[in-house]
Amino acid sequence: MVAIDHQAELTRAGAHVTGWWSRIRFFARRYPLGAVGAVIVTLFILTAAFADIIAPVDPTATNSKFSLAAPSHLFWLGADFMGRDMYSRIVHGARISLAVGAGAMGLGALIGISVGLASGYLGGWFDLIVQRLLDIMQALPLLVMAIVMAASLGPSLRNTILAIAIPLVPTVARVVRSNTLSLREQPFVEAARAVGMGELRIAVRHVLPNTLAPLIVLATAQLGSAILVEASLSFLGLGIPEPHPSWGRMLSESAAEYVRTAPWLVIFPGVAISLTVFGTNLLGDALRDILDPRQRS
Amino acid sequence: MGSYLVRRFLLMALTLFGMSVLIFVMLRLVPGNIADILVDASGADPKEKAKIARELGIDRPIAEQYISWISGLSRGDLGYAYVSERPALEEIAPRIPISAKLAGMAIFFSILFGVPFGVISAVRQNTGLDYFLRVLSLSGLSLPSFWLGLLVLMAAVHWFGTIPIYDSNPHGFLQDVAMLGLPALVVGFRSSALIMRLTRSSMLEVLRQDYVRTARSKGATNNSVNYNHALRNALLPVVTVIGIEAAFLVGGLIVTETVFNIPGVARFLVEAILWRDYPIVQNLVMLIAFVVVMVNFLVDMAYMALDPRIKFAD
Amino acid sequence: MRLREAILAASSAALVWAAVPAFAQKAGGTLRISHRDNPPSASIHEESTISVNQPFMAVFNNLVFFDPREKVNSPDHIVPELAESWTYNADNTQLTFKLRQGVKWHDGKPFTSADVKCTWDSLAGHAPEDKAIIRKNPRKLWYSNLKEVKTNGDFEVTFVLGRPQPSFLTMLAGGYSPVYACHVPDRAMRSKPIGTGPFKVVDFKRNESIKLVKNPDYWKKDRPYLDAIDWKIVPNRSTRMLGFQSGEFDMTFDSDVTFPLLKDVKANKADAVCEARPTNVSSNLLVNRDREPFNNADIRKAMVLALDNKAFHDILSQGNDLEGAVMLPPPAGFWGMPKEQLPKLLGHSPDRKKTLAEAQELMKKAGYGPDKMLKIKVATRNIAIYRDPAVILIDQLKQIYIDGELEPIDTTVWYTKIQRGDYQVGMNLTGVGIDDPDVNFYENYYSTSDRNYTHYKNPEVDKLIDQQSAEQDREKRKQLVWKIEQILADDGARPIIGYNVANTCWDPKVKGILLQVNSIYNGWRFEDAWLDK
Repeated sequence: MVAIDHQAELTRAGAHVTGWWSRIRFFARRYPLGAVGAVIVTLFILTAAFADIIAPVDPTATNSKFSLAAPSHLFWLGADFMGRDMYSRIVHGARISLAVGAGAMGLGALIGISVGLASGYLGGWFDLIVQRLLDIMQALPLLVMAIVMAASLGPSLRNTILAIAIPLVPTVARVVRSNTLSLREQPFVEAARAVGMGELRIAVRHVLPNTLAPLIVLATAQLGSAILVEASLSFLGLGIPEPHPSWGRMLSESAAEYVRTAPWLVIFPGVAISLTVFGTNLLGDALRDILDPRQRS
Repeated sequence: MGSYLVRRFLLMALTLFGMSVLIFVMLRLVPGNIADILVDASGADPKEKAKIARELGIDRPIAEQYISWISGLSRGDLGYAYVSERPALEEIAPRIPISAKLAGMAIFFSILFGVPFGVISAVRQNTGLDYFLRVLSLSGLSLPSFWLGLLVLMAAVHWFGTIPIYDSNPHGFLQDVAMLGLPALVVGFRSSALIMRLTRSSMLEVLRQDYVRTARSKGATNNSVNYNHALRNALLPVVTVIGIEAAFLVGGLIVTETVFNIPGVARFLVEAILWRDYPIVQNLVMLIAFVVVMVNFLVDMAYMALDPRIKFAD
Repeated sequence: MRLREAILAASSAALVWAAVPAFAQKAGGTLRISHRDNPPSASIHEESTISVNQPFMAVFNNLVFFDPREKVNSPDHIVPELAESWTYNADNTQLTFKLRQGVKWHDGKPFTSADVKCTWDSLAGHAPEDKAIIRKNPRKLWYSNLKEVKTNGDFEVTFVLGRPQPSFLTMLAGGYSPVYACHVPDRAMRSKPIGTGPFKVVDFKRNESIKLVKNPDYWKKDRPYLDAIDWKIVPNRSTRMLGFQSGEFDMTFDSDVTFPLLKDVKANKADAVCEARPTNVSSNLLVNRDREPFNNADIRKAMVLALDNKAFHDILSQGNDLEGAVMLPPPAGFWGMPKEQLPKLLGHSPDRKKTLAEAQELMKKAGYGPDKMLKIKVATRNIAIYRDPAVILIDQLKQIYIDGELEPIDTTVWYTKIQRGDYQVGMNLTGVGIDDPDVNFYENYYSTSDRNYTHYKNPEVDKLIDQQSAEQDREKRKQLVWKIEQILADDGARPIIGYNVANTCWDPKVKGILLQVNSIYNGWRFEDAWLDK
């Protein structure tokens, strides 16, 4: 459905464009903020992928000589009190953020989609019970739920992803379920059933692709909030443990002590988090406008 | 309507019950308990540990512990905090007004900034001002509030050479406002961004509708149309958003109370989790869940009251 | 300032202060101090952290006390407090105290020998469970040689020892040995304790504040000078520092000002009086000698050789931490071996190049190299003061082909885990309440101790520990202590990376504060402190 929507948009605008490059240019002009967001997100992903090349210095290497070194040509973003290069730590931190953000979002979506599809498709008692369970999960704010989960599981990369993914499940499940409910009675689904297609195949082949648009919008929003929640957890000391360079962790404990003597320790990791989340939000807004015309503002 | 309310209350009760089981079991799956913390940190004597566990009742079967907690809760007895050994109610109650005041001020700020900017942004759609305000509101959703808090502290140090340190006995109303005002602004920034975005989009929807065009064609001046007719209608969904956001403020409160060293109920939750102080954690989580469920209920009621088109099927 | 100079300067300052006539002190005023975290309880006997000692010592008295006018806690400078005098019997197995009369608890009840008996019966584990005035007992080990406490009338009490133990009196003189009241239940001691000391507890609000007021009926005439002490609990260190700089607090928490922060404090509060001193907390390496591949002595030795202690000190305290063996090194430490002997010990050689090469050789011999790294987990407690040295350790171990990954362990399970031996390599901090060989050796190195985390067992060392403990001759005892230090270092029992040094600061108007240099836990009675306003 995504492709069709694009095409509709292009046709509406009266643009006679062919080839993906022209399309990108078209959308960039139509949604300048979204384009900025896309650039930020792409940069973020590239940084995470090529961290070793962009910042070859070991982000965990300590050096007493450079404790709290100010930004300079040697240390572009300064050094922390152990003399670790902040530039390298922030670049490698993108990896952690992406791993947790994408991991939690992906896992949350996977569980949410399965639960939502099953719930909407099967209906009855199963649906009722699932709905009540989702109610319970949504009775706690995202961060509170993640804090309780993270404290229960203990600090590690895997556990942090889990602790953030689970609270993300209800929203996805609800969206998928409501779409499934309305799609289940659509003619093309009836048709598929008439030609003897199995229910599971119908669900996966026909129903799921049609809920993709709102899911993509939702996923982008959740990527941003997963990154923010990871940062908050690590800030509170419940997320990714040292010496992994997590942006949130860099802002906790010792960093705050040097608010005055070494402000770069506070400023740069915060900029990294904010910029990344800002980018996903811009992109998310544009995607929503493109893919989900009902919500267009 | 009557049977809708009955069903609704039953569902709420069910949700809270489920939450109580969930949090109770989850806490007990966590490795390490208060007896471990108390005894291990200072040399271990298994006998002492067993004695403390017995005193606190954490050696009993989980089901039994759960029943005694819930039956206590129904009598208004929250049990004893493990760490302070005082009634949990006495530990929690004095912290609630602090967080409530902070949350109240945050909501006040977020409406104060969110609604007008949202309206302006909608009325000036696609102008430079609109873009600026939209970027600003998006940044509100992107800045981690603990970082914003640190930046505010840095600014305070830079300009005033000092920072607000929380004092439980403020000298008058003004100091109270000054102490909580900055943190409230930090917490409220995110909410105001959300309110602004929703005000803007519902304003835009209303502005496109027929009766506004009619009013305009009747010769009403542009400004009076925009602000009188449209705003009144656009406020409807905004009110509900404010309600929902109030529940989500809790997350912002946790980190902000940590950054600004405010002894509120949100930071207390994190501390209690780290200490495995079950009675405090359980009751606080239930309190938060109760607030969230109630707010959702009130929001739905507000929907019904404000928008006659919405009817809830029995 | 280097530490030696600091101590010299401070002790001369102390002389000047002692010489000032008594009328110069002004009475009155409230001393405001920042506190770093929430004290787990107010009961000193149940806890082992400065978070409890510093605020609550002022509520109590001991039988005997390290002379508050002396910088170094030593067996030579013990003065009477609730005891007026003490004597040993002929074979040094009975220690009898004559108690001060007319002393009252804060609730008005009189202090008697029964209170002393109650306290030490509980501490030695002799009291029946329902009579114990403590719930947990972290220093039970201190009193394993105490057989009985006998009272003789209301004002005389005798401690009966199993064998002579000169350190026994020393242990009674520390901040961890207050006299508790028989009639106050343990729960009250944890939340609003009652003592005989110069200050009374008004209230202790968790996570918020501790308020103490002057005890008007204090047995020491004209003390304390202060009307009150207000502690405010501020968990965020930068907030505490800013509060001190802006005059919110008159004094920082003990050892709260690290060297990187000192510059900032001085820059923003030029008149601040800051003093550096060791906290008698050592950072040390735990290697699980029962586990593969660390049961290979070569690998353990290589790890000790690879440690660059100086790099740790440079990062953690801008080079101010102290190099030492098992006992706090002199001049701050009373018992540690002389500085000249230290380089001969394994892991303390100044020739880094040579030791590193030797370490690499040993690792190669064990079958490791740049292409075959030994993968390990480095366990540590999940708080900054533990994690920071662990991060440096991992970085240093890379040089000898060890690829470490940090395993941060929640405080709740950390001690259980290492006690069980459920770790490969650990980074640990060991705090010593009193600079005394018995306190340190029996707890950390005796083969039967629970807190001998590396399960180091050496019958020769056990024998030497017992021998030094009973030795009455100070010089002979020191020789024995140094010998033990040597063996422990060469066996890599628990390699000591360094002794932490940190600063405590106060406003110049605060007078009568004297920091003792070999323990942070003992000097906080606050009865001589006053404000020059």
